Amino acid sequence: MRHGCTSFQNLTRRDFFRIGGVGLFGLSTPSLLEARAANPRARQMIILWLGGGPPHIDMFDMKPDAPAEVRGPWKPIGTKLQGLQVSELMPNLARSADKYTVLRSVNAKGYPDEGQHGAGAAWSWLTANRRDRRSNSPKFPAYGSVLAKVRPGPADLPGFVTFGDIGRESYLGPAYEPIEFKLDDPADRLTTMLAPAPMDITALDRRTELLKSAEQHLRRLDKEEPLIAGLDRFQQQAVDLLRSPKLREAIDLKREPTKSAERYGKGAQCRRVLAARRLIEAGVPCVHVQFHGFIGWDFHGGQGTFAKAVQLISEFDTACAALLEDLEQRGLLDSTIVYAGGEMGRSPKPESTVGSRNHWNDAQSILVAGGGFRRGCVVGATDKNGAYVTDKHYTVASLGRTFYELLGIDADQELYTPDKRPVKIVGEDAPLIQEALA
Amino acid sequence: MIRTCLSWTGSLFALLLGAGEIVAGESNLPAPSLPSEPLFSRHIVPLFGRLGCNAGACHGAVQGKNGFRLSLFGADPASDHERLRREFGGRRLNFTDPAQSLLLLKATGQVPHEGGKRLLVGGAEYQSILGWIARGAPLDPLDKSKLTGLLLTPEQQTLRPGASYRLQVLATFADGSQEDVTALSTFESRDGAVATVSLEAHVQGMGPGSAALLARFRGQPVVSRVFVPAEAKAAFPEVKEHNFIDRHVLDRLRQLHWHPAELCDDVTFLRRVSLDVTGALPPPDEIRAYSADRRADKRNRKIDELLSRPDHAALWATKFCDILKPHYREDDRFFSEGAQVRRFYEWFRTRLQENVPYDQIVERILTATSAEGRTKDEVLKELEAMALEDAAFSTDLKAYASRRTLDLYWLRPNAGGVPGTIQIAHAFLGLRLQCAECHRHPTDVWQQDDLLSFANFFMRVGRGGEKPSPAEQKQQAEETKKLTEQVKKLRDQAKAKDVAKDESDRLLAEAADLEKKAGMAARFNYLRSTFTGVAPAARASFASVSSSLGKADSKTFRLLGAATAVTPAPDQDPRELVVAWMRKTDNPYFAKAIVNRVWAHYMGRGIVDPPDDLSPLNPPTHPELLDELCRGFIASKYDLKWLHRTILVSRTYQQSSQANASSRADAAHYSRFALRRLPAEVLVDAINHATGGSETYPAVAYVPPGTRAIEVPGDAIVRSRVPASTGIQAAATSGYALELFGRPRRDSSNLCDCDREGAPSLVQGLYLAAFPDLLRKVGNPQGRAAQIVKDHADDARRIEEVFLWTLARLPTASEQRFFREHLQKSPSGQQGVEDVLWLLLNTREFLLNH
Repeated sequence: MRHGCTSFQNLTRRDFFRIGGVGLFGLSTPSLLEARAANPRARQMIILWLGGGPPHIDMFDMKPDAPAEVRGPWKPIGTKLQGLQVSELMPNLARSADKYTVLRSVNAKGYPDEGQHGAGAAWSWLTANRRDRRSNSPKFPAYGSVLAKVRPGPADLPGFVTFGDIGRESYLGPAYEPIEFKLDDPADRLTTMLAPAPMDITALDRRTELLKSAEQHLRRLDKEEPLIAGLDRFQQQAVDLLRSPKLREAIDLKREPTKSAERYGKGAQCRRVLAARRLIEAGVPCVHVQFHGFIGWDFHGGQGTFAKAVQLISEFDTACAALLEDLEQRGLLDSTIVYAGGEMGRSPKPESTVGSRNHWNDAQSILVAGGGFRRGCVVGATDKNGAYVTDKHYTVASLGRTFYELLGIDADQELYTPDKRPVKIVGEDAPLIQEALA
Repeated sequence: MIRTCLSWTGSLFALLLGAGEIVAGESNLPAPSLPSEPLFSRHIVPLFGRLGCNAGACHGAVQGKNGFRLSLFGADPASDHERLRREFGGRRLNFTDPAQSLLLLKATGQVPHEGGKRLLVGGAEYQSILGWIARGAPLDPLDKSKLTGLLLTPEQQTLRPGASYRLQVLATFADGSQEDVTALSTFESRDGAVATVSLEAHVQGMGPGSAALLARFRGQPVVSRVFVPAEAKAAFPEVKEHNFIDRHVLDRLRQLHWHPAELCDDVTFLRRVSLDVTGALPPPDEIRAYSADRRADKRNRKIDELLSRPDHAALWATKFCDILKPHYREDDRFFSEGAQVRRFYEWFRTRLQENVPYDQIVERILTATSAEGRTKDEVLKELEAMALEDAAFSTDLKAYASRRTLDLYWLRPNAGGVPGTIQIAHAFLGLRLQCAECHRHPTDVWQQDDLLSFANFFMRVGRGGEKPSPAEQKQQAEETKKLTEQVKKLRDQAKAKDVAKDESDRLLAEAADLEKKAGMAARFNYLRSTFTGVAPAARASFASVSSSLGKADSKTFRLLGAATAVTPAPDQDPRELVVAWMRKTDNPYFAKAIVNRVWAHYMGRGIVDPPDDLSPLNPPTHPELLDELCRGFIASKYDLKWLHRTILVSRTYQQSSQANASSRADAAHYSRFALRRLPAEVLVDAINHATGGSETYPAVAYVPPGTRAIEVPGDAIVRSRVPASTGIQAAATSGYALELFGRPRRDSSNLCDCDREGAPSLVQGLYLAAFPDLLRKVGNPQGRAAQIVKDHADDARRIEEVFLWTLARLPTASEQRFFREHLQKSPSGQQGVEDVLWLLLNTREFLLNH
């Protein structure tokens, strides 16, 4: 069942160390790192955040032989990948199982807020670090912020976009915070700035034109000052963004052919995934989709739990499958990491009503695809009830290091907090999830 | 060069060493060497430090590395010795064949070592360790080898690029012996572009500037400074010093051959000083009057006038909120309340308006009590007045502002104990002790015990107020019930069909009054149970911490940097001892912290920078200047206005921001005025000033409509993301801008002055160019543009007015021509003027203080 990835030829972190190991820890041969950075396998990244704790046993880690209460109300179905079964609620992802890898053995045991919905738990998965709001831990940046810092994208596009609030602050400062679009809010500040009414566009065009021609006439402050240079850069970028149709068109979902849009599903969350694809197509380096808010994937007992689970899992199925298909069709899947998961799994036994499950931090499933991940692969395993990891256990630090490896970013590189504290991109040493790499 | 040196502290020492400018070649110090019979704690442990073995990333890590642990930077030689001898079956040291000791085999890479090859077989360092093992690896008597002094020479040195010299580290030990420990130390240059320093203590001049050089012996740091002058291309200009600040700054610039900028022009000065002192742009009338003023001392007069304006107190009350962080966390209900945060702010504003000496302000914060020695009745009366203000959503919270002490400081969660002590050290001493909470500070001099023993002074602050007795509670509940019923009855009566309009209004007004009374009673009880608690507790408790690294505690009272403990009298509030210590004229941090912060506010960077890091490892660029400012400030009896004025009148503050060819490379020596982006609140106010806009606030903000952003304290009410539980609605429009332009959270979980963000960002650019609300302000038919069009028919005059309201200056001829052309092309005067206004808001000149 587990597909060991024998073809993996890349050097491991330890190898790097041995080759470059003349100096202090973390120093590797620069040329190797440069080569990796110059030609990374992944250039872009989409995160589908299933906050709240998606039920692995009802999605990617079916346990048909477990007692009835454990295996839950949904039946497994076969997939395009021999040996992998998924829930009957996910027929589309079953058909595209040759495109992604399921990680069944990564968890955040011992990380902040483990087994709870606290911000710390989400940060473990979104930063690969222990970011604890109760202590003085650095405010580790999300993957997108690191990308924006270390490898900025095109000038007329933002480096990191989110749909839904993920708490933007990080020690990298506001310059690397994501910009957040609220697709469903007609008064969304960013959207209204970027996609003004046609009349405003005329005024804006007139004014930015005027600004350009005024440059040579205005009294200028010292251009060589770094602060001025920074302001110039950002103003230029802002004007570029405002004048360039790229971003405006990417977030304008009305431009997507109806047929194509419908494949993503009808819900507001599915539209976010569609918008994410359009942004990736436009060239935005990292897009984060909050798929049903901060704790939407929480299935405690009670009326409506069953229906909610059906709705969320089905929506995820259509949206994620359409995303993978579209990326593939556009030739973007090989260079774009798709990462879908939540902060924990859910308990083998129902909490009360059918379809309900409690928080569970010992096992969960993560979907990764594209950008150098194997196509059609399952890594790790859990016991007969889906309760504990039995094989190939990895931590979120491993997951993060694997992402950065594919993105060509040295996870041991030190970035600086505003008070000049050096912090490694991923603080903990951990092995790569090599089984998942193509 | 010698003449310049004479004005520095330590210059005598430099002279004795013959340390003039080194043009080429190097000093004749002998090459560093190791002793023939090294002692473990004096020589071997420092060697581990020099080789990097006991660094935090290697065996100095908490869990060690690969089963071998050393104390971080060799802080604990005894346990290091124990681990070397006993652990790992004693194989680390081989007494029969010392060269086969695992310690040496690993370090030399003869067996695989993750840390790589650190030691050369046969080298001097290798021989030292080998010899020590051969002698049986003895542990020397530790008390004799305790470090009592460390000296890095030369303390200052001027050096040409390409030239070099050697540093020497001298250690004094408890037994009185002194030793050259250069070969056992590590070295670091804080600015490699100015000078580099090698492991052999070789300093090499690179490019113009000054750099701190850091040496460490056994984890203890010591600092010296190197100056590398630029090439002297022209004679240093004649410039007139305004006061002692300029003497220090110019001396340094002269030494580095960097020429100072010209004085800025009068109009630039007016804009600059208005923004810096009051957070506001000067209106056109003031600019015109100032330009027309021909008096020679008009700058000094303006400074005095601005310092006496209420806006100056408002701006600095905001600054002190940045530092003291009245907000706690968004999920903390008490301090999310607009009223409490506003009271905190208003208390400060009132004290600053009264110009209470800084040491007294700090005393009134640090030794605050709820009762302030008054009778219970007096205290309750104060609470009653506060309850009334709260219930009425008063926009004028007077009752608290007249208190002598700020007990609100202590009512914040985490104000006491170890976290509170870390904040006190940060706020009043400019020190960063966070890392010392769990372990020895890895990049500073503080030990965990320093922090815990200091925290003990703040462990006896009682909180928690007076809970009403059950009987009182019952009585209150009944009263509330009665009032509520009455209100309902009145409202029902008013709604009845046969009631006349004015009778109905009267009934409703009465109901509203009663409701307010009920609300006030509830507030009063709440305030009483919270606001009466701050007092020295009778019971002693001591500071302790427990973390993943283990538990630690202290039972002694020891002031920061003091060698010995003190014992507070049984009836004494230990906090008073801290205040007394702060007030000592030789306190190394107290005056320096505020002087350096005020300096940084006006000059764009601290003499010690970052300004809230007065660590001995972060030396000042101009130590003599900082000393003289501190002495003057103390001599003025901690008069903040003296401090502001002294800095503002200096030529250094009044220079142009335009660099000249000679000083382009300078970033830290004040060869020109440092540009900076307007702080978030000042910017929001400036936009409103320019466009004629204003802000409205929700009632829970407890501020009147039209209040300037600089007067809105705290954080919660202007953030766009506020949890529903606080009952606070996000404020109208300014919230987004304030967040975007880096207004600090003022939350004690983030103890850094850098919480206020001044960096530009993409979304800021978007905001200024296209934020709908800002565009509405620009195009407001009752706004500035419309007013200018109405008041002035002449295009040239219209352009002048827009320039004065935005950039606070008149347009140049070229600007005037360009914009007149645009106005002539515009379909309407209104549209044309709006375009000019929009454009000027989007210039660097508007966004910056320059």
